[in-house]
Amino acid sequence: MLASFTSTRYLNEANRSTVLKLQDQLITAQQELASGRLADVGVSLGGRTSETVSLRQQYARFTTLVETNSTVTTRLDVTQTTLQSFSDTAQEFISTLLASRDTENGPSVSQGDAEANLVALMDGLNSTLSGQYLFGGINTNTQPITNYYATPTPANRQAVIDAFTTAFGTPPSDPANTGITAAAMQTFLDGPFANLFEEPSWSNDWSAASNENLSSRISSFEQIETSTNATEDGYRKLAKAYAMVADLGVEALNKDAFGVVVDAAVKIAGEAIQDIVKVQAKLGTAAARVESANDKMSAQLDIMNTQIENLELVDPFEASTRVTTLLTQLETAYSLTARVQRLTILNYL
Amino acid sequence: MSLTSSMEIARSNLSVLSERTAVTSRNVANAGLQNATRKLSNTVTAQGGIGVRLASITRASDDALFDNLITSNSSIGRNQVIVDSLDQLNQTINDVEQDFSPAAVVGKLADALQQFSAAPQDEIRAQIAVSSALEAANTLNAATDVVQQTRTRADQQIADSVASLNNLLSQFEEVNRNVIAGTRTGADITDQLDTRDRLLTDISREIGIRTVTRENNDVAIYTDSGVTMFETQPRTVTFDATLAFNATTTGNAVFVDNVQVTGTAAPLPISSGRLKGLTEVRDEITVTYQNQLDEIARGLITVFAESDQSAVPALPDATGLFTYSGSPAVPPAGVVVTGLAGQIRVNPAVDPDQGGDTDLLRDGGINGAAYVYNASGGAGFSDRLIAMADQFYSPRAFDPTAQAGSTTTLVNYASNSVGWLQETRQSANTEFEFRTAIFERSTDSLSKVTGVNLDYEMTVLLELERSYQATSRLIATINNMFDALIVAAG
Repeated sequence: MLASFTSTRYLNEANRSTVLKLQDQLITAQQELASGRLADVGVSLGGRTSETVSLRQQYARFTTLVETNSTVTTRLDVTQTTLQSFSDTAQEFISTLLASRDTENGPSVSQGDAEANLVALMDGLNSTLSGQYLFGGINTNTQPITNYYATPTPANRQAVIDAFTTAFGTPPSDPANTGITAAAMQTFLDGPFANLFEEPSWSNDWSAASNENLSSRISSFEQIETSTNATEDGYRKLAKAYAMVADLGVEALNKDAFGVVVDAAVKIAGEAIQDIVKVQAKLGTAAARVESANDKMSAQLDIMNTQIENLELVDPFEASTRVTTLLTQLETAYSLTARVQRLTILNYL
Repeated sequence: MSLTSSMEIARSNLSVLSERTAVTSRNVANAGLQNATRKLSNTVTAQGGIGVRLASITRASDDALFDNLITSNSSIGRNQVIVDSLDQLNQTINDVEQDFSPAAVVGKLADALQQFSAAPQDEIRAQIAVSSALEAANTLNAATDVVQQTRTRADQQIADSVASLNNLLSQFEEVNRNVIAGTRTGADITDQLDTRDRLLTDISREIGIRTVTRENNDVAIYTDSGVTMFETQPRTVTFDATLAFNATTTGNAVFVDNVQVTGTAAPLPISSGRLKGLTEVRDEITVTYQNQLDEIARGLITVFAESDQSAVPALPDATGLFTYSGSPAVPPAGVVVTGLAGQIRVNPAVDPDQGGDTDLLRDGGINGAAYVYNASGGAGFSDRLIAMADQFYSPRAFDPTAQAGSTTTLVNYASNSVGWLQETRQSANTEFEFRTAIFERSTDSLSKVTGVNLDYEMTVLLELERSYQATSRLIATINNMFDALIVAAG
């Protein structure tokens, strides 16, 4: 037996399999260099693939939340602006009333102003954002407030007229109304008239809104109310204040009775402003929470992105060095193969 | 000693030389063949000391290296089919970047619900949510198909492997018989031995084996678990193929000589070879993965299940957006329902393409008025949608036998399933690389020791040539001496 023996086939095969292996590695390395990502994420990461899948999933989830939050933010912003206009109008209305209380044409000025304000209030409450009624609560596809000045006379206006007629025996604006005493007017305003703006009359005659507000998930752990609705006190009080000046025929009343109406309207409008400020504060808090949720999520999105990259990306320098090394190795293997092939005793026989 | 006997010796040497040249020529011819071994001619002094003769032709061999080779060949056989099948299963996931794994579509559905909940009156977002649900159901259905196709293919490969084993064993019988006969008569059996080794190598790829060499070079083959495959005569390997698999199908076991060698009930289970790998694929890996898909499907069905919203609930929970063959009953918690991933469908009552109403997804009530969540009917109602989206992220019980976690959220479970498959792929690949290296090492070592070296053969040829020249000169000289003798004798 020979001490050391190597078959010719082994000599050739060794080089051949080296070349094949190197080429295989080169394909992977080139692919990784070109894409910047691992050629086979699954095989490279093994069990940690679940991490990258989780991260990707969470990334998509947070991106979605940030997207849906922008819908919420727009709604909150538009609502805030509308609420601000309600409260500004109410403030001016109070000034107008106070100024016109003792003047000759006070009733007519106030009446006109109140009417315009009531129309503006209804327009505001019926405003929409991409087809969605802002003040409808969850009834987003039904107009929340019945138009008071529509023809034929809608239920809400008819109810005001009927209540007045029942209380005083004459409809509003009747010349005989000068005889209505301040006390009688006060009783009417506190009783039958006020009732029209309380439930169930409000929901029957005025509002089709739901008292359930829109609810939104703004982050992975927060679900908050992100709308207001036309059944809330502030709007009802505003409607009441405007309606009593606009539609009780104040021009036909005596000075004392008009004074009672003005006092009541000023008081109620003032309360309404307070209520609206509360709603504004609530929605402002919601907007702040959305914003802070967005900030947190944006920060997390960046971190997640980095983590995904850490898992899936390859170091381009490392990949490029690998390609270069493999190319050199391959060249060496080729020249070795050629030289080994030339090396045979036959050349010397 | 006489001139005649000198002539005799020279002649015997000539004939031995030509036979040795023939052996060298055979070696040169076989230099490139993988299984061919180097043939050696053994020359001895002829009987009575007159000349030389070729006693035998043997071959270079190394039993230990050959045993290594067939053992690593069996391991590689098992590993290779596992790696291939896992790559096939990986179709259900592919690159995670492409986002069409079951985990990704589950996440997309949760996101679509969140989008829908931000604008519950929006018909387009409702339809996107429903189409995400369709995508989720289709993905799970398609994944089930892939898994069951992999099983069917594995079963078919087992059948092919068994057929080729029986064929190899019957070839082995013939070659083995020739080897025994040749050994008895002292004939040149080296080529038969090479063939027999090749057959053993082929057999070892299919099934793990041990061999025992007995009198007259007779070889008996046993499986690595000890069941007789060949002893004087081949034993039959039997297997009943199953034509098509679904999640509930159980494949048949392989029997060698009527002894079960695969499956949990096997008294002597084999531990390597393609048959082992294919059985693992068909009965373990694919079954576990199918269980995971089924659990994801069960999770989805449960997330969307509706419960009775009456003041005093009396009705049982019922399946909502997703249905399956057992609807409206909700599948029991924490227990895998085999084949669920293949049965999950989007409820036609919700799918607008099938005449359904997407509002039912927002409001509930797929199963009737008692299940309506949105009592007032407002189009901006988002609580149900948010609650369902939340369900994706709240912990629930999963069947621990599916190996992807026991109590976790649905989205996590789906990610775990991806992790499980990739972990299995990674370890199978690593083992495959390792086994391949060992196999190559064994092949190389064996080839190195038993193969032909052309340079060596050439030098042998030179030696033979010299010897031939010397013998020829010898014969010529003896001839001259005879001539001189005859002339002298006049």
